[in-house]
Amino acid sequence: MPRSHAPGSSPTAGLIFGLIITLAAVVAYSWYITRQISGLRAVQNNLVDRNRKDSLQLLRVQNDLNNIALAMRDMLDNAEPYPLTAYSAQFRQIRSDLDAAIRQEEQVSVSTRTPEQREYLSKSLAQFWDAMDRMFALAASGNEKEARTQIQLSLQARQEALSTAVARLLVQNNEAQEQAASQVREIYDRVERQVYLFLAATLIAIVLTSLYLIRANRRVFAHVAALSEQRSDLAQKLISTQESTLRYISRELHDEFGQILTAIGAMLGRAGNHAPEGSPLRKDLQEVREITQQTLENVRSLSQALHPVMLDESGLESTLDWYLPTIERQSGMRIFYEKTGSPFALDGTAAVNIYRITQEALNNAIRHSGSKEAWVRLRFSPQSLEMEVEDKGRGFPAAPTGRQGIGLVAMRERAELLGGTIEFLHPGGSGTLIRLRVPREKAGADGKQNFSAARG
Amino acid sequence: MGLSSAALWSAGSLGAGGFAAASSLSQELWATPVPQRSPLGFHFTDVTSPAGIHFRHNSGALGKKYLPETMGSGCAFLDYDGDGWLDIILINGIYLLSPDTPISVLPPITTLALYHNNRDGTFTDVTRRAHLNVPMYGMGVAVGDYNNDGFPDIYVTCVGQNRLFRNTGKGTFVDETLPSGLGKRQSFSTSALWFDYDRDGLLDLFVCNYVKWSPEHDVFCSLDGKHKSYCTPEAYHGETCWLFHNRGDGTFEDVTATSGIFNSNSKSLGVAMLDYDSDGWPDLLVADDTQPNKLYKNQHNGKFLDVAMQAGIALSTEGKARAGMGVDAADFNNSGQSGVAITNFDNEMIGLYLPDHGEYSDIATQAGVGFPSRDKLGFGCLFADMNLDGALDLVVVNGHIDDTVRNVRNVGYAQPPQLFLNDGHGKFHEVGAQTGGGFNAPKVGRGLAHGDFDRDGDNDLLMTTNHGPAYLYRTDQTSGNRSIRFHLQGTKSNRDAIGAVVRVSANGITQSQMVKGGSSYLSQSELALTFGLGKLEKIDRVEIIWPSGRSEEFKGLSAGHGYQCIETKGISQMDRY
Repeated sequence: MPRSHAPGSSPTAGLIFGLIITLAAVVAYSWYITRQISGLRAVQNNLVDRNRKDSLQLLRVQNDLNNIALAMRDMLDNAEPYPLTAYSAQFRQIRSDLDAAIRQEEQVSVSTRTPEQREYLSKSLAQFWDAMDRMFALAASGNEKEARTQIQLSLQARQEALSTAVARLLVQNNEAQEQAASQVREIYDRVERQVYLFLAATLIAIVLTSLYLIRANRRVFAHVAALSEQRSDLAQKLISTQESTLRYISRELHDEFGQILTAIGAMLGRAGNHAPEGSPLRKDLQEVREITQQTLENVRSLSQALHPVMLDESGLESTLDWYLPTIERQSGMRIFYEKTGSPFALDGTAAVNIYRITQEALNNAIRHSGSKEAWVRLRFSPQSLEMEVEDKGRGFPAAPTGRQGIGLVAMRERAELLGGTIEFLHPGGSGTLIRLRVPREKAGADGKQNFSAARG
Repeated sequence: MGLSSAALWSAGSLGAGGFAAASSLSQELWATPVPQRSPLGFHFTDVTSPAGIHFRHNSGALGKKYLPETMGSGCAFLDYDGDGWLDIILINGIYLLSPDTPISVLPPITTLALYHNNRDGTFTDVTRRAHLNVPMYGMGVAVGDYNNDGFPDIYVTCVGQNRLFRNTGKGTFVDETLPSGLGKRQSFSTSALWFDYDRDGLLDLFVCNYVKWSPEHDVFCSLDGKHKSYCTPEAYHGETCWLFHNRGDGTFEDVTATSGIFNSNSKSLGVAMLDYDSDGWPDLLVADDTQPNKLYKNQHNGKFLDVAMQAGIALSTEGKARAGMGVDAADFNNSGQSGVAITNFDNEMIGLYLPDHGEYSDIATQAGVGFPSRDKLGFGCLFADMNLDGALDLVVVNGHIDDTVRNVRNVGYAQPPQLFLNDGHGKFHEVGAQTGGGFNAPKVGRGLAHGDFDRDGDNDLLMTTNHGPAYLYRTDQTSGNRSIRFHLQGTKSNRDAIGAVVRVSANGITQSQMVKGGSSYLSQSELALTFGLGKLEKIDRVEIIWPSGRSEEFKGLSAGHGYQCIETKGISQMDRY
């Protein structure tokens, strides 16, 4: 794993660029579709709908013209016991409907209608009603025979001409309708093509963006992993350096200063023996010898504190047997120590780390819990070793800071170094329980954990 | 049947309060009470046979498939003897003989039937006694007291000469066709109605004519391309409706031409009276078959103007002239204005028109009437409050015109009648299958009328079928709903008070109904008005606007009673509904 890693360029710029492109495509496409729809609406409003409405009105006109034809036929049949004038109400009714239909037809008729066509229709109708009025005038004056002749000669022919003209308009409308339909079809085809294009472009954009994102993500993850590895490396080095340094100082203190002070003490004893009994010199020498003895003890104690030699020589259990009463005495906190399970031999490094974690946990309890009691439990099981330190005090603050924070980090690092897990718990809502669990294969003397650096 | 069964009925099924009064009023003597509780709050019982009605319509069909054979016939509720109990008239055909029919195959003669109400749930055929056993090819009937003598007269529309029978008041009728000036007319008449269009206190007569048809000029039509079938009216020339003005001396004047009614293109089947513009003058709505419907607006001067197009009721919403058959007009949304129902051909749906101050919109589909009626060919139709909940329901009888229709499309010849219950909130629900009594068994339905023949306060139904039996359905309420009924008698107005409008206000709702002649198809319902009141004990107010223009108001009338109202003489509670 490379020790240094260039973070590479941030994907944000690429993503924003992609977003802008996508948004632009959507906006462009929406605009296009809106335009096509408004075009379609225009075609439908202007041509199809108006055409349909127009045809409906023309059919109404046609129907009225048919009714006129039927009524004129009945008038000629002369089968009713009523005078011809009786028909005037019927014609008035048809006429008012016809007028309304023609008016509405003109409003909705498409622009393809020529002025000549309009004029022809309105003029023919006016002439027809004029002839009709004259026919009814004849009938009203009692001249029914002449009125009937008028129907035969003039009105029927005019009605037929009108009917033909309206039929022609209907045919025209039908043609326009077909044209409009083909226009609509074209628009639909175009939109359909564009939809496929847009879909394809969108798909490509999505695929490219996804590929880019996947690559960027992979780079970021690799970077994070490398950083994490580095950090772990550093922590391990730090811890092993610290341990080896402490061990060195401890041995130096014990071996060098211990020897020297012991020698000084022995020499002072011998010198004192040469001094006359009860002389001030002998008294002074005795005093210096006591000071030297005191210093020797202090040096031994310091050496033990820095790195209990016992750890290397007698193992974790004996060290704890010595350490716990010592710290109990020094701190005034009562410590209940339980040891269960059948112990197995521990690797030296594992023993140091477990010891350090216990030390740190107890120190925390002493400094921060406010409690007067603590429990230390060491459990051996066939699979693992478990170490618990518990107090019934205030518990951990939500966000530990400063020295305490560093202590926790160190505990975690050591646990990680051991290949075990560490939990910080608040059983029952108060107090702190720190539980370290190390698998046997990692902690045992046959385990792989080894600090070559620490030994060196 | 005796008291015990009535007691069983009361105790067994009608324990709920509120029905006690109605049940005590209902006849102890009525036959076959049905001890069941309908989920609809009422049920029908087919009492045709127990009531002694054994009528069968004779279409006169001898295989020639003459058009009139499939169109008849009508029926009516009337109280011809003035005893307060509704009698029944059923119109009949005879054999329509073509010029080449040999004398040797001449079939027996059939006539209309008049049934007298025995006041115990049974009827007696009194046709012969009443001198109504007259051979004619009858189609429809209009009942009205045209001479204001207190006894309803009968106008029978026919293929050929229509007949006017004057009621002598002694249980017999006299044919007044020729003396009254209504004779010497050959036509194919259908529905007719009596109404006083000029408000002179005398009933005038409106007659619908269908097409110009005669056996000699019969047209060959075929549905399946092989067999002859009955033609639709496109095959024939139209025929104008007629309007006859009552001169008051027993004679009538033909005012068809001068009144503006004349229209030679009309192919009319049904007619209903209404006041569509609320001006107090009766207007007419004519249902036309394949021609635009007509709405004849009364112009107060003896003339009418067809405003159907402007009012939006002439054509379907698609602008097509449908096959209008039966028609009724009534205030079905309690708005004070007359809505309209028109039955049409199959695949055309019923037209249900909602009024909006002189303009109509067809709400059949939204109201739930359109879809159930789409595959039906409707004839008789009427608005009546069948469950007495205060909202007028719609009853329709259906039946196709040709029995070969099954060969060409999936529509039955016999079709079930339908009952559309009005929920009072703009929706109708078809409940024909739940009414009991075999109401929805398929029939070749034609005529339809309602009337309270057992005087228990609700609307019973009378229907006719083409070339088949007539049906009398007794309605019985099981929900405890009650009604209030009004029997009107004009003094200055025509004695039948046809055209009078009654407005009943109760519980914040005002219902209105008009005393109408005609409506439905070839038929006429009773003239008394039935207002459903639900469980209400009293009405706040009733307002009667007589055809003369006089308005009367009465307050605090009790539910569960019939009231007799005589113009200018006040109102009195009757001993029964």
